[in-house]
Amino acid sequence: MEISTNDYRVWSEGARIHYEGTMRLSGTEAYAPILELMNNVLATKPAEIILDLTGLEFLNSSGINLLAKFTIEIRKQPDIGVKVLGSKSIPWQSKSLRNLQRLHPALELQIN
Amino acid sequence: MTETFGNADLSNGEAAKTLHINLGAEPLELSWQHCGTTSDFLGEYFAKCCEKGVDQVDARHSIGYLLNEILENAVKFRHKGNVEIRCSMERNVFESTISNMVDPQTAEKFQALLQELLSRDPGELLLERIEANASDAGSGGSGLGLLTLMNDYDARLGWSFRSDHANGTVHLHTVAALTFA
Repeated sequence: MEISTNDYRVWSEGARIHYEGTMRLSGTEAYAPILELMNNVLATKPAEIILDLTGLEFLNSSGINLLAKFTIEIRKQPDIGVKVLGSKSIPWQSKSLRNLQRLHPALELQIN
Repeated sequence: MTETFGNADLSNGEAAKTLHINLGAEPLELSWQHCGTTSDFLGEYFAKCCEKGVDQVDARHSIGYLLNEILENAVKFRHKGNVEIRCSMERNVFESTISNMVDPQTAEKFQALLQELLSRDPGELLLERIEANASDAGSGGSGLGLLTLMNDYDARLGWSFRSDHANGTVHLHTVAALTFA
C-alpha cells in the first residue's frame, strides 16, 4: 500500500512503514488516509511494527499527533512491539520523537 | 482594551536583521500551502543570520517549524484580512510577531486554552492532551502545536488581543522567539 504526493510518500512493506518528504497536512481529517494505512498494518498483528522516519524531513504538529495516536493504539496490544527509526540529521526527530517513548516506554527509539 | 498572555515582549533592537512579510488574503487567496512555503523561506533566511558556531541545520528547521505552527493557526482561525509576519534576529535571538484578526468568539476560546497551557508544565500537559485526543476521535489536538514549541523547542511565546469593537473583530499578535546557543 502506498500514498504518494509531490510533497511526501508513505508506504508499507510487511510490518515496516516508510515515510519520506515533508508532511504538513491540515489536521486529523487530512491525515486520515495515512492513519488508515498504519492501522491496516497493525490489523495484521505482526510481532513488531517498524516506523521508518529516516526520510521524513519535516512533520507538523498534526502529524506528530498522528504518530502519538498510533503509538497509543499499539500500546493497547502489549504483544505487538514497535520500533521507531529516526535520523540525527533531521532536527525535529531528536526534539519530538522522545514524546512517543514517554507515551509507551516499551517503544524502541533509534535515532542514528 | 489589550489583554496579554505569556511573554509578548520583544528585545531585539535596531541592529537586528529584520524582514516583514504581508500575506495578502485576497490577492494570494491565502491558504494552507502558504504557511509551509513562507516558513521554509524565513527559516532559510534567518538561519544564515546566526553567528558562527550555531548549528545552521537546527536553526533553519527550528525557525521553520515555529513559524509554520503559528502560521497554520493564523490561517486556520483568522476571521478575515491579511496575515502579517515580522521577524528579526540579533545575537542569535530570533523573534517573530504574527498578526491577524479573529472573531470575538474565537478569541475567547483561544484565551481559555492559553490560560490552561500557561498554568502547567508543558511536557506533562503535552502527554495529557495526546492521551485525551487519542480517546476522542473527533478531537483535532488543539494546543498541541504550541505545547511542542514550548516543550520540545524551548520557544518563548506570548499573545496580545486587542478588541476592535467598531469592527466587531479582535487583533491578535502572536510573539514567538527562539534563542540559539
